[in-house]
Amino acid sequence: MALSSSSAGKAPEAGVGSAKSRATTSPNGKIGRASAPYLLILPSILFAFWIIGYPIYDMANMSVHAVNRFGKTAAFNDFANYQRLFSHQLFIGCLIRTLVWTVFVVGGTVLLSVPIALILNEKFYGRTLARIIIMLPWAVSLTMTGIVWRWSLNGQFGMVNATLSQMGLLGAPVEWLATSTTAFPILIAIGILVSIPFTVTVILGGLSSLQADVFEAAKIDGASGWQRFRYLTLPLIRPFLNIVLVLNFIYVFNSFPLIWVMTQGDPANSTDILVTWLYKLAFRYGELGIASALSIVMFGILLALTITYAALAMRNERSTV
Amino acid sequence: MEHPVRKSILMWLCLSPLVILILFPFAVMVSTAVKPRVEVLMYPPTWFPSEIRLQNFVDMWQATRLGPAVLNSLIVSIAATLLCLLVAIPAAYAAARMQFTGRKLFRQFLLVTQMLSPIVLVLGIFRLMAKMGFVDQLPALVLAYVAFNLAFSVWMLQAYFQTIPKELEEAATLDGASMVQRLWRIFLPLATPAIGITAVFIFIYCWNEFVLAMTLLRTPEKSTLTLQTFSLVGGRYQVEWDHVMAATLVASVPVAVIFALLQRSLVSGLTVGAVK
Repeated sequence: MALSSSSAGKAPEAGVGSAKSRATTSPNGKIGRASAPYLLILPSILFAFWIIGYPIYDMANMSVHAVNRFGKTAAFNDFANYQRLFSHQLFIGCLIRTLVWTVFVVGGTVLLSVPIALILNEKFYGRTLARIIIMLPWAVSLTMTGIVWRWSLNGQFGMVNATLSQMGLLGAPVEWLATSTTAFPILIAIGILVSIPFTVTVILGGLSSLQADVFEAAKIDGASGWQRFRYLTLPLIRPFLNIVLVLNFIYVFNSFPLIWVMTQGDPANSTDILVTWLYKLAFRYGELGIASALSIVMFGILLALTITYAALAMRNERSTV
Repeated sequence: MEHPVRKSILMWLCLSPLVILILFPFAVMVSTAVKPRVEVLMYPPTWFPSEIRLQNFVDMWQATRLGPAVLNSLIVSIAATLLCLLVAIPAAYAAARMQFTGRKLFRQFLLVTQMLSPIVLVLGIFRLMAKMGFVDQLPALVLAYVAFNLAFSVWMLQAYFQTIPKELEEAATLDGASMVQRLWRIFLPLATPAIGITAVFIFIYCWNEFVLAMTLLRTPEKSTLTLQTFSLVGGRYQVEWDHVMAATLVASVPVAVIFALLQRSLVSGLTVGAVK
């Protein structure tokens, strides 16, 4: 269908807000006023350089020097920290699990969130309540969610086993989090569950910006429900899907509390991803050299993702002007 | 036309697996929190205890020292929210209303800082705070929370500020109002809802944060709520789950209620601000 591509560019108009109210300098703007905007943004920039910029510099510096477990840096050591990181026996495993974790959680989240958002965009009795319930995990801290699931998944006294066996779905109780074959999939499932609210919200924002008359016209022209979804809805909410994909990718890649609270990377490192391993290296094993190198590597990955996101966001912004 | 009742039933049916999964942990929390201790560790476990023991909450409050932790969380979250708004509002005003060289660069700068998460920088932040003598001090947490919420706040606020018509301020200028009067009397009252919503988001972030609290705080007296609750589970041989569930309930319900009440404005706020 040709109309899909031509209308895709207009999609974000309503949700994204417009840039039309770009004001000029204040009316009594003389030379003295020219410094006003810089004075206004200065505190935020200083803050960011102080609390975020300096630690990055410090870790970059530490990562190329020999460093003892108390953080005293010595001579420049030819990227030995990076060599030790890449040749570490746990590195590849954690990297692969991070990829699996990120891809499955983000993929599962988006695949589930699109139909949920479509449902919540319909008018039906109790829709407000349904929206509130589905947003609920967002308000609860990941630490608390992790603690409650850890208790629920307890092999002996957990309600998951109890409920499943009452329903006749489970014979013997399973130690979900202590078994290496079940622990990671369970974590992924819970990761999806807590990522749905944000994702649904953004997609709903996209759906509510769609114009009803286009869909009426398509209906009159005889397009089926699936065709309308595939050739109208999907292309029109594409910019929102892009943003949700990138943002979720970054959130999930950095997701620490769930895994830390539920398994701490156990059993036998089978649920360790890069962030949990990084925390152990830095604060448990005192491997500050490797830890700082890993931080910088992850910072690089995130920066690449951010640039992707910025490119996407800028493209949206341009298409709204 | 479809029958509205039948449609509603169908919609709820489609949502039911997810609704059950979302409500399941809440049911577990409530169920365990009011159980007598002997029934918590009884096999097979049951949903409904023989008696509803609200005394558990009183016992938990004393045994787990949750009170001081709630207080610490409140202090840190409120201080961080106020300081963050104080720094973010002027910056957002400049980004929304003023034309200056480097404006685009500033927006990109915000975008990049927004992407960084505490966990990747946690080692560097710990070293910075240690250097400043702030380890195990609540201000360390306040500073870090402000830094990690700044970009988001400026971004949200400037998106809102752009929707406030500047004609009102211009009219006030013609009537002879000074810049301060203009901001104080006209702009800020109009911006209050936006500032409120941003404040709620910052507050919830601080209230729920875990990694930085775990890294920067040492002594139990300084613990925030998430950290204190985690310490009831982490590294203990025997976990008193009735207390833990009562504690998670106390920690989660207020925020969940605020969120549910404000859901509509929070969601619309986010679609104006964060999607940009």
